[in-house]
Amino acid sequence: MNRTITFAKAINEAIHQEMDRDEKVFIIGEDVAKMGGDFGITSGIWKKWPHRAFDTALSESAIIGLSCGAALCGLRPVAELMFADFIGVCYDQIVNNAAKLCYMFEGKASAQIVVRAVTGGGIRCAYHHSQCIEPWLMNIPGLVVVAPATPYEAKGLLVSAIRSNNPVIFLEHKGLYNKKGDVPEELYDLPLYESKVVRKGNDITLVAAMSMVDFALRAAEDLSKEGVSCEIINPLTLFPLDKETIINSVAKTGRLVIIQEGPKFMGYAAEIGSMVYEDIFEYLKAPMKRVTSLDTPMPFSPGLEDYVMPQYADVKKACSEVMSF
Amino acid sequence: MTITKEHLLKVYQDMVLIRRFEEVVEKYSKNGTIPGFIHLSIGQEAAQAGVIDTLKETDYKFPDHRGHGAIVLSSRPEDRKTIMAEIFGKKTGINGGRGGSMHINDLKVRNMGFNGIQGSTVVTSLGTAFASFYNHTDDVTVVFMGDGTLGEGTCHESMNMAATWKLPLIYVLINNQYAISTKYTESHPQEYLADWAKGYLVPSETIDGNDIEVVIESTQKAIERARKGEGPTLIEMMTYRWQGHFSGDPAAYRPQGELESWKEKCPIKQTKSKLMNIYGISELDLDLIQRKTEDEVEGYLQFSLASPWPSTDDATSWVYSDISVEGRK
Repeated sequence: MNRTITFAKAINEAIHQEMDRDEKVFIIGEDVAKMGGDFGITSGIWKKWPHRAFDTALSESAIIGLSCGAALCGLRPVAELMFADFIGVCYDQIVNNAAKLCYMFEGKASAQIVVRAVTGGGIRCAYHHSQCIEPWLMNIPGLVVVAPATPYEAKGLLVSAIRSNNPVIFLEHKGLYNKKGDVPEELYDLPLYESKVVRKGNDITLVAAMSMVDFALRAAEDLSKEGVSCEIINPLTLFPLDKETIINSVAKTGRLVIIQEGPKFMGYAAEIGSMVYEDIFEYLKAPMKRVTSLDTPMPFSPGLEDYVMPQYADVKKACSEVMSF
Repeated sequence: MTITKEHLLKVYQDMVLIRRFEEVVEKYSKNGTIPGFIHLSIGQEAAQAGVIDTLKETDYKFPDHRGHGAIVLSSRPEDRKTIMAEIFGKKTGINGGRGGSMHINDLKVRNMGFNGIQGSTVVTSLGTAFASFYNHTDDVTVVFMGDGTLGEGTCHESMNMAATWKLPLIYVLINNQYAISTKYTESHPQEYLADWAKGYLVPSETIDGNDIEVVIESTQKAIERARKGEGPTLIEMMTYRWQGHFSGDPAAYRPQGELESWKEKCPIKQTKSKLMNIYGISELDLDLIQRKTEDEVEGYLQFSLASPWPSTDDATSWVYSDISVEGRK
């Protein structure tokens, strides 16, 4: 029987069930224990396991550093950074510590940690609480960056992230927390490093992650009325990227539109585009298009923020341009 | 402090081993055989040998970048030649040559390695101390740091958390006077850096880091506190590095005569004179220790020189625990 829960609840359930299964799993972060997290994602955990849920001082470097050290001893920390923007204050620990430990210890130990962080814009919180920090982490071999779009994906991927021996940055788009979807109650996992074909089609490949998947679905629906069939691919693991699924799709459609929240310059849309140009240039029927945020800090005032975020009209325009090229 | 003759003789040998190891490394770094840069701990042997002597194999150790001595003494004797081979970047190195001088780790003896960035292990060590607390074991964690490390913000985060949660963590602050060229008195307001711990209500003391008996006594006290669940301690060990920051740094920033005055306080020389004058050990016996150590280290050197370079396949292994990274086609 289908059961519908929110994205937020799916994450909470994944942590609960993994903690039930493995006593090496614990949660740590600012306000994650007694309060249950700033967004309520870890609620109920401290009550059930008071000795496995830890509220810390505002010390992001210590949270990540401690998690790395504990992981080297075989524990499985699930750390919360609250807003992904705060990665700035513990960037060294993520880049120079977590990402390097497996290499340093030749796989005999590693930073088997999950760092949960809330990413993206849309809640009128301006430039320190609304950034898309994905590209900051995608140039760092050793890190895994996971970005689900549905409650089902969130639960299954978080379970895999907790079980992974690699450091996984698990990005939760704040615009998705209230999104509902079918999620099995029992414990299940979904594979890391695998893109998902969200919708099959033949004319345009749309690549989108997190809340941008909804844009892609809407565009595919609209375009189908015009007789254009879109294939939608959600990378799910943004880094290391499953290139094959994207390449195979574009080889079939010959057209590529990437919808990416966050600044355009050096965003992951650029990497996906160059990868396609490098590998299957001869299959392309039109130059690829990118729909992204503007290259600005995120402004506060609603009209300004909406203006900076990716526009649905631009998705439509990009699709019609690749079709008419 | 009552330390037996046998015990003092043992740590004397430990210090002689560090000194000889570093002399050989220095020679082969200067002649270009060892790639990269090397931080030598000549002059600081008592701090490293005294602390390691006090720990058990299952205690967690985080050496610092000037940590060859602590690393060698933590290791099992049969592995020591592979530590030198690691510094030479060879395939037989304890970490396959991928880390070199600054990243040597050895999980068998819980040497958790150094992170090339100052202040990083100060927070990673929270995690091993936390694991002892989480798993209810009595293993303590020792993190070596320098006077320069204390400038990093992570030291605040670490000590605040360790003190609040009473984690079994010992901060061994080896004050060798200089962070590269900057004297600690020019970058910190405290006369004694140990005072810095007071704000966190963490017991601390400043000791003569060249007197190995004092080092052992102070470390034992801190370890006892930590094992009893009474929380962290900071020990500032005053010492001096005889070389520059890295092998080849002429250290022109030091005032004339400073090095010479510290050479007078050489930890090995001090211990040697105690062994001869108080315990009646003959100079001949001590010379024998010196010669045996030289032979031993010569064995590490010959092993390192004769060892092959790593295979290029090793460059792409273990980026991730479960998936591979492409090499060159």
